[in-house]
Amino acid sequence: MALSNEHYQALAQELDDVKQQVQAQLGEADARYIRRVLLVQRISAISGRILLVLGFITPWLWLLGVLLLALGKILDNMEIGHNVLHGQYDWMNDPLLHSRRYEWDIACESGSWQRTHNVEHHSYTNIIGKDRDFGYGLLRLSNDFRWRLRNLWQGGTYLLLSMLFQWGVSYHELAGQRVFFGKKKTDRQTQVSDSELKKALFGKGARQLLKDYVFFPLIAGPMWLWVLSGNLLANLLRNLWTSTVIFCGHFTKEVYAFIPEECENESRGHWYYRQMLGSSNFTGPTWLHILTGHLSCQIEHHLFPDIPARHYPAMAKQVQAIAKKYGIPYNSGSFLRQYSTVFWRIMRYSLPGGKSAVKAL
Amino acid sequence: MTVTTVTASPSVLRRLWRHFCLMLGNQPALSIYLQPLLQAIWPGFMPGQFRGQLVEKSWQTANMVKLTLRLSRRWPGFVPGQHVLLSLQHNGKNLSRPFSICSPLSLWQCQRQIELCCKVDDKGAFTPLLAQLAPGSRLNISVAQGEFSWQQPARPAQFIAAGSGITPIAAMLLSQRHWLAPATLYYRVRGAENAALLAPLQQLAAQQPLFKLVLSDSRFAHSDNFMQQVCANAVAKQVFLCGPAAFMQQVEQALLQAGVTKESIFQEQFGPAALPKPDADASNPQHQISFQSANGSKLFQAPANASLLQSAEQQGISPRFGCRIGVCFQCVCDKVSGQVRDMRSGALSGHGREQIQLCISQPVTDLVLKQ
Repeated sequence: MALSNEHYQALAQELDDVKQQVQAQLGEADARYIRRVLLVQRISAISGRILLVLGFITPWLWLLGVLLLALGKILDNMEIGHNVLHGQYDWMNDPLLHSRRYEWDIACESGSWQRTHNVEHHSYTNIIGKDRDFGYGLLRLSNDFRWRLRNLWQGGTYLLLSMLFQWGVSYHELAGQRVFFGKKKTDRQTQVSDSELKKALFGKGARQLLKDYVFFPLIAGPMWLWVLSGNLLANLLRNLWTSTVIFCGHFTKEVYAFIPEECENESRGHWYYRQMLGSSNFTGPTWLHILTGHLSCQIEHHLFPDIPARHYPAMAKQVQAIAKKYGIPYNSGSFLRQYSTVFWRIMRYSLPGGKSAVKAL
Repeated sequence: MTVTTVTASPSVLRRLWRHFCLMLGNQPALSIYLQPLLQAIWPGFMPGQFRGQLVEKSWQTANMVKLTLRLSRRWPGFVPGQHVLLSLQHNGKNLSRPFSICSPLSLWQCQRQIELCCKVDDKGAFTPLLAQLAPGSRLNISVAQGEFSWQQPARPAQFIAAGSGITPIAAMLLSQRHWLAPATLYYRVRGAENAALLAPLQQLAAQQPLFKLVLSDSRFAHSDNFMQQVCANAVAKQVFLCGPAAFMQQVEQALLQAGVTKESIFQEQFGPAALPKPDADASNPQHQISFQSANGSKLFQAPANASLLQSAEQQGISPRFGCRIGVCFQCVCDKVSGQVRDMRSGALSGHGREQIQLCISQPVTDLVLKQ
């Protein structure tokens, strides 16, 4: 315990106040904002697909198409999909923007992602053995995990995971439930049967593959190869981008991890405290924040996952002041600096030894 | 064989189309995928709803406003007695409330217009917005819904309305073209100045010998007298009843005692349900929850000081749940009616249809929930 119980209580109160202030002013401006992002997303995705076919005029149009389609996919994944599925816009009562109904343009079915990400990752952030997002069961990111031979080439594993990130996300829940491989864990609670999980995996995956690699190439006629490769490239760009952003949020050098014992029956203040230590921000211009779905403000996102993300940069100033007051480290830096420490972490722990991420404040 | 293929093909085609839309845009219909673009062209566009323009706004009584709406040609029409959901956006939020159509069918058929009579509650979240609407504003409305209609006009009928309950009944009576049997309307109000739609009904009574209008002023005529009057000739007639919940309960009981069969009473419920029963412990009242899910529906009592998720689980119902602290939104479910309190902020919800998180909501009234 790094803070006293009174401090935890006061911390919770101050952060609750920050949240309440923003919640009180949610309204027209937020609705207008998310509808504008949706409009830009639709326009870039649709025009991107059209430009891919026009590549026969000049390949530059094709390249522009790839970039626009990738932009559409990134906006759908991050600023729209991720945030809507967190319930950030449920208050609008708009069926398109409701967390129960939204379905995004990636291989992972949104319900499965909500269970693993919203429930597991956001409740148990960086608790060793409970939050499988800490290394995704593939990478050794601290000395809290035993070194195995396969960690030796985890640099390559990481590259592969980044390139196929949407498929990793979509398989994540099935891996945790040991649907195909491994021994079932007896202590795991499950609300969804294995067959439902498989149906969601194959159903949604097939739909995505059919769209990008069969349907659109087919209707492009002689331009089928251009369209197919353009779609492949757009998906690849989106995968690399989302993976990079998410790795920068939790696996930077200074990030903290926790053991289950210290989080049992934790107070709201301790939960807040843990969210601040387990996440890291990076700075940049507004357009960068939007492209990351404001996950560049990962700390604020973990403190207030259901507040519309466009408020995070302003909240960050208040949160940083509160962190300073309580002596809690606030992990922020430029995108390149943060990413280089992530890369360092992956490479360092591919070798045995190193430090534990569970450390005293 | 040909018959089966003809009947089966539309649903198969519809399913294929749905899958096709899911593949293209991850939405069950293309209109939902294209919603942001369509909204840029037609502000306020909502898939599955129809657009209406406010033609005229007039005050029927001091707190009842009549809205005349011109609807899009695609709107499929209505049966007199039905209601529509009126939706508008306020401060970024989609709000909707049901209102009965009070105008005759002919107005829709000739001019593509309908009229709604709305009682404005100054403390409400919705109706004050209606009162502020300027002519020319756009609203969204649903298809007409509801089973309340006058299906057998050849049988003698008795209509009983109180307050704003007159709206669906006025539509039924004013739409009737060929009068075949006598009908009487008992209309209970607080003074003629509070009687909405009185003029057209009086006109109808003057022109149509089979129709009789009986106005009962609740300030002078005692409720027992009114009940006697209503029950005296009700046997062997169809009875149509609409008004506040407490009034309807009272009339229904009186009618049943007078020997009217339950099958011949038709009623339309609207507005908040009757007040909570006073027998519960005052410090921690119990509320009746009707929980409907894919596995069937269940009725149970829930205390006002526990979360709905906890109460449901104690009853052996397992709604979807997640973090149980209001973070993950796994337990979101549809509240069809009733009011809840947010346990974190103490904020009260509305009475209408909206989505709530079970883990951080406590019941304030009886509830109907759907997951």
